Amino acid sequence: MAALSEEVLLVVKRVRQRKQDGTLYLMAERIAWGPEGKDRFTVSHLYADIRCQKISPDGKAKIQLQLVLHTGESTNLHFSNESTALKDRDAAKDLLQQLLPKFKKRANKELEEKNRMLQEDPVLFQLYKDLVVCQVISAEEFWANRLSINNVDHSLSNNKQEVGISAAFLADIRPQTDGCNGLRYNLTSDIIESIFRTYPAVKQKYGENVPHNMTEKEFWTRFFQSHYFHRDRINTGLQDIFSECAKQDEKGLKSMVFQGVKNPMVDLLSLEDKSLDEGYGSNSTAPSTSNTNKTVKENSNSAIIKRFNHHSTMVLAAGSGKKASSLVVFTAEPCANLAVCLHRDAPNGQACETSSTDGNSRDSDFFQPPIKKVKIQDVIEYEDLHRENGKKTVALNLKKSDRWCGCSWTPYFGTSVMSSSTASCAIAALSPGGVLMQALAQQAINQMVPNDVQGELKHLYTAAGELLRHFWSCFPVNTLFLEEKVVKMRSNLERFQMTKLRPFQEKVQRQYLSTNLTGHLEDMFQMAYNKFHAWQTRRMMRKT
Amino acid sequence: MKLNIEGLLVYFPYDYIYPEQYSYMLELKRTLDAKGHGVLEMPSGTGKTISLLSLIVAYQREYPLEVTKLIYCSRTVPEIEKVVEELRKLMEFYSKETGEKNNILALALSSRKNLCVHPEILHANIIVYSYHYLLDPKIADLVSKELSKKSVVVFDEAHNIDNVCIDSMSVNITRRTLDRSQANVETLQNTILKIKETDAAKLKEEYRRLVEGLKEANVARETDIYMSNPVLPDEILQEAVPGSIRTAEHFVGFMKRFLEYLKARLRIHHVVQESAPQFLKDIFEKVCIDRKPLRFCAERLRSLLRTLEIADIADFSAITLISNFATLVSTYSKGFTIIIEPFEDRTPTIANPVLHFSCMDPSIAIKPVFERFQSVIITSGTLSPLDIYPRILDFRPVTVASFTMTLARTCLCPLVVGRGNDQVAMTSKFETREDFAVIRNYGNLLLEMSAIVPDGIVAFFTSYTYMENIVASWYEQGILENVQRNKLIFIETPDAAETSMALEKYQEACENGRGAILLSVARGKVSEGIDFVHHFGRAVIMFGVPYVYTQSRILKARLEYLRDQFQIRENDFLTFDAMRHAAQCVGRAIRGKTDYGLMIFADKRYARADKRGKLPRWIQEHLTDGSLNLTIDETVQLSKHFLRQMAQPFRQEDQLGLSLLTLEQLQSEDMLQKIAQIAHQA
Repeated sequence: MAALSEEVLLVVKRVRQRKQDGTLYLMAERIAWGPEGKDRFTVSHLYADIRCQKISPDGKAKIQLQLVLHTGESTNLHFSNESTALKDRDAAKDLLQQLLPKFKKRANKELEEKNRMLQEDPVLFQLYKDLVVCQVISAEEFWANRLSINNVDHSLSNNKQEVGISAAFLADIRPQTDGCNGLRYNLTSDIIESIFRTYPAVKQKYGENVPHNMTEKEFWTRFFQSHYFHRDRINTGLQDIFSECAKQDEKGLKSMVFQGVKNPMVDLLSLEDKSLDEGYGSNSTAPSTSNTNKTVKENSNSAIIKRFNHHSTMVLAAGSGKKASSLVVFTAEPCANLAVCLHRDAPNGQACETSSTDGNSRDSDFFQPPIKKVKIQDVIEYEDLHRENGKKTVALNLKKSDRWCGCSWTPYFGTSVMSSSTASCAIAALSPGGVLMQALAQQAINQMVPNDVQGELKHLYTAAGELLRHFWSCFPVNTLFLEEKVVKMRSNLERFQMTKLRPFQEKVQRQYLSTNLTGHLEDMFQMAYNKFHAWQTRRMMRKT
Repeated sequence: MKLNIEGLLVYFPYDYIYPEQYSYMLELKRTLDAKGHGVLEMPSGTGKTISLLSLIVAYQREYPLEVTKLIYCSRTVPEIEKVVEELRKLMEFYSKETGEKNNILALALSSRKNLCVHPEILHANIIVYSYHYLLDPKIADLVSKELSKKSVVVFDEAHNIDNVCIDSMSVNITRRTLDRSQANVETLQNTILKIKETDAAKLKEEYRRLVEGLKEANVARETDIYMSNPVLPDEILQEAVPGSIRTAEHFVGFMKRFLEYLKARLRIHHVVQESAPQFLKDIFEKVCIDRKPLRFCAERLRSLLRTLEIADIADFSAITLISNFATLVSTYSKGFTIIIEPFEDRTPTIANPVLHFSCMDPSIAIKPVFERFQSVIITSGTLSPLDIYPRILDFRPVTVASFTMTLARTCLCPLVVGRGNDQVAMTSKFETREDFAVIRNYGNLLLEMSAIVPDGIVAFFTSYTYMENIVASWYEQGILENVQRNKLIFIETPDAAETSMALEKYQEACENGRGAILLSVARGKVSEGIDFVHHFGRAVIMFGVPYVYTQSRILKARLEYLRDQFQIRENDFLTFDAMRHAAQCVGRAIRGKTDYGLMIFADKRYARADKRGKLPRWIQEHLTDGSLNLTIDETVQLSKHFLRQMAQPFRQEDQLGLSLLTLEQLQSEDMLQKIAQIAHQA
C-alpha cells in the first residue's frame, strides 16, 4: 500500500462514512478514509481533486464535513466520537483549509492550461485523441513534452497575475436575517483575503488576537458589529478593538494626503495664485468645518465620504501592488510627520497653508519638475492639428538619380550565397514534375483519394510525427531516464504501427490496390527502428 | 502655416487649422483694428489660446506702434503655465520660419512669492499673469500700474470675472481682525516713540511730504503714466492729507478711535444692513470721525509704514485691511453695502460677529482697466448669454461673438433627464430635494450610467451639503455598493489636499482600466480648475441646477443692486449664474475634437427654454428636442448608442475639409463663406 511511504499529517478515528465506522487520514497529498478493521482505503481523494469543503452548521446534531470534488461528486464524513467530535472536525477542517489552497492553485492552473491548449489547437486535440485516448502513450507522457515546450510562457503564468479586488466586496457579504432577530454574514476565504488586503490594519488585528484572545468566529462577529464595518457610525467606545484600526487608517490617509500628489495638474493646493489676503473677498468666512459646531448627522456624513475615499484608495493600491508605499508611511514614519498630522487636525484652511509652503520649488517656472512640463505639453497638444507622420508615405527623394540608372551595379554578398541561376535550378527541381520530385507518387493524390481518407492520413501523419519527435528527442541517449524513454518510445511506435497504421493500410488496400499511401510513413518508422537497433547493439557491445 | 488674416501675416504653429480658429482670429483682428473691447466665446479645446497668441503677436510685429504689449490674464496657475508653453511653441515656430532670433520678451508671473521684476515688466512684450495682478487694486498698484496704455489685455477663462472683481473690493472684518489691528496699532505707537527719540527728522520729512499732498501721484496720473487705482480716487489726489491725521501720533490715535468704533459696532445681537452713507453718518455722530480723513486712511498708513521702514508688511495686514476699508467706505457711496451679522446662520448659538463690506458692482474694480487699455478681450468657453457681461461690467464692446465648434462627428451628447423610470420628476428644487424618490432616482441614474460608460464619470452636485446628504442616503439605500461593483468611488471633500489625492487616485483608476466615479461640487475647486480629458471623463452628470445659495444677505443685496442699477431681474441673474456654472461643469469633459463625452443634465428644469437658452451655443445646438425630459431608461439607450458610435475609429482624414483645414482648403471661396457663419454675433 502506497500509504506506507506517505507522511500522515492527521489521523482521526471514529469517522463514519456511508454509515460505516472508520478512520480518516490526512496525508501530504491526499485525504483517505478506510473502514475499521481493514487495511485499505475505500475513499481516497487527492487534494488537487477537491474543489472545496463544507461543514455542517453549529448546533446541528450531526457533525459533518463534506468534500466536494471538481467532478461534482461529494463525500460526507460524519464525526461520531461524541466527546471530541467537534474538535476532531475542526482539526480536520483547519488542516484542510491550509492544504487545499496550495493544491487548488496548482491543479487548476495545470488543468486550465491543458484545457486551453487542447481547445485552441484542433490538431493537438486530434493528436491527443489518437495517442492518449487510444492509449498509445499515457497522458503524462503526452503532456510532459507539451508543457515543457510551453515552458516559457508557463513560467510567466507561474508568476501568477495578481487578482484585483472587487470594490464591492463588502457588499457581497450581504447580511441575511436568520428569522430570530439576528444577522448572518456569509464570509468566504476570498472576501477575507480582500478585507486583509484592503485593510491591513484588520489583518494586523487578526494576527494579534486570533487565536490567542478570541476565536476566528468571534473576531469576525466583532468586526461586523464594529463601527469600522458600518461606515456611517462614528467612532465610539474604546473597548472596540477596531477603533485602533480606524485611527490607523486615518493616520495612513493623512500621511498620504500630506505626501501630496505627484501629478501637478491635479494639485488643487497650487491651483490658485492666491492673491486675496485674509479678510478680503466676498465669502472668505466660509462656513467653518471644525467639528465643534457640526451636528452628529453632518459628522457621520463626512465620515462616510472619508471612508469611501479611503476604501477606493486602498482597493486601488491593493490591486496595483503598491500597497507597500501607502503602508510604510504609517508604520515607519518618524515623529516629524506626526507633528504635522496633529497640526492637520486644525481647521482645514491652516492645513492647506502648511503643505503649500512645504512645496520645495513650486515657485519658479524655470525649475519646473520635468513631469510637470511633460504634462503641460501633453495638455496643450492638439494632435489633429499636426500632420500625421505615421501614415504619410515618404516620397523617395534621390539626390543623384543618374547613379541609380546605370546597369553596372552588382551587389556583393560574399561567398555564402549561391548564384541566381543555381537557385532557380534548385527550385525547378523541387517543384512538382521536377527532377527531384520524380520518385514520389506522380498521380495527384487529391484527385484519387476521397477526402475522408485524406483526412485520416493527415491525422496519422501528425500522430506519427509526434511519436517520432518523442523518439528522436531521446538522442543522444546519455541519461538513464532517456534510456528508459527511448525503449518505451520504440514500443510505442510499434504499438502505433499495429493499432493505427496497419488497419489503415488494410483499409486502403481494400479500396485502392495500386497506391501505396503509407510508404513514406513506413519508411520513417523503419528509419527509427534502424536507429534504435544500432543504438541497442552498440550498447550491448559496450556492456559486454 | 502662414495665414493671411485680412491682410495681416499670421504665423500659426500647426499644419492644419480649425475653421473656428480662423474665424476667431478674424474677429479678434477687427477688435484690435477698432481699438475697442471684445467679448468672444469659443469652446474649450478648439485652440483659443494659440489663436489669441498667434494673432496678437503678429499684430504686434506688424504694428509695433499701435500695440506695444500683450497682457494675458488667466485664472489658475496651471492655466498660466499652459499659456507660457503655447507661447514658447509659437516663438520656436517664429524663429524656425523667419530664421531670425526672436526679439520678443515674455514674462510670466505665476506666484506672488517671486514678485516683482519691476523694470522687466515695463519692457516685456508679453506678460502672462493672474487676474489679480490687474484687478486687485492692492497688487495692481505694485505690479501693473505703469503698464503702457497701448496694451492689449486678454482675460481668458473670464466667465467668473465679475466675482473676481467683487472679491478684490470686498472686506470682511471679524473680532480677530480687530484684535490683531489693535496689536498693530500698539506696535506702531511704540515704533513712533522710538523713532522720535532717535530720528525725529524722518517724521518731520514725512509731515512735509504729506502737506505737499499726493501731487506726485496726481502728476503721474495726468501724464498718463499710471493706471488709476480704484482705492485711490481722483479727488484726494488734488488735496493734501487732512491735518487731523497728518502727524504720526495723531494718525495712530485716529485709528484707535476708529477701531473702538468698529468694536462697538460688532457688539450686536441682530443683523444690521446699511449703506456707506448711513455708516458715515453714524460714525460721525458717535465718535466724530469725518469722511475726509477716512478717505486718506489707506494712503496715510502706507506712508507711515514706509517712513517707519517696516520691512515685513505682512505683519500689518490687519491694520492695512482696516485702512483700506476706511478709504473704500468713505469713497464710494454707491455699489457697496455693509452687513453686520452677529453669528453664522447655521450656528445661532455661537457668537461670531462679522462685518461684511461687500462690493456689489464688479465694474468698480475693472473700470480702470477698461479706461486705461485700448483693447480688452474677454474670452472663455462659456460666456453665454453674451450680452450680460458688458452690462454687469459696464463697458461697451465693439465685438461680441460666439463661435461654435465645427465637428466632423458629434462628439458631445447633451441629454436632459427629467424623470426616473417611475415617472417621478427629477429635480434639485428646494421643495423636493429631500424627497426620497428624487434621491433614489438620482442614485439609479448614477448606477445605470456606471454600468455603461467606460472609464471615468464625473458627477457634480449643486452644493457640498447637498452632496453629503445624498451620499449618505445612497449609502443607506445600498446604491453606492452597487455602483462600486462597476467603478471605484471618489468624493470631493472640503479639504483641498484630500481632494487632490482623491483626484489623483481617480485618474489612476481611469488609467488602469478599472474605471471610477468622482463625486464633486459645482462652484468647487474641481469644477473650476480641473479638466477631465478623454477617458478621465466620458460622462459628466450634473445633478440639479447649481443655483447659488440665495438666502445669503450679501447675495440678496447684490441682486437688488443689479435690479436697480442695471435693470437685470433677480431671476435672470440667478439663472444666468447657475447656467454658467452648469456649463463649466459639463464642459470639463470635452477638451477637443478628438475627445468625446456625454453631458447629462439631471433636472427637468434644464428643458425649459429660459435655462436651455442660456447654455453656450456650442452645447445648445446639439441639444435637440429629442434629448429633453428623458427617463433614465431612455437616457441609457441614447448614451449606449452614442458611446458605440464614438468607439469607432476616428482619423484625421475624417476631419479634413470639415472641421480641420489645410491652407489650400482655407483659401477656397465657399469655405470662407462657411467660416463667416461660424461667428455668431450677439
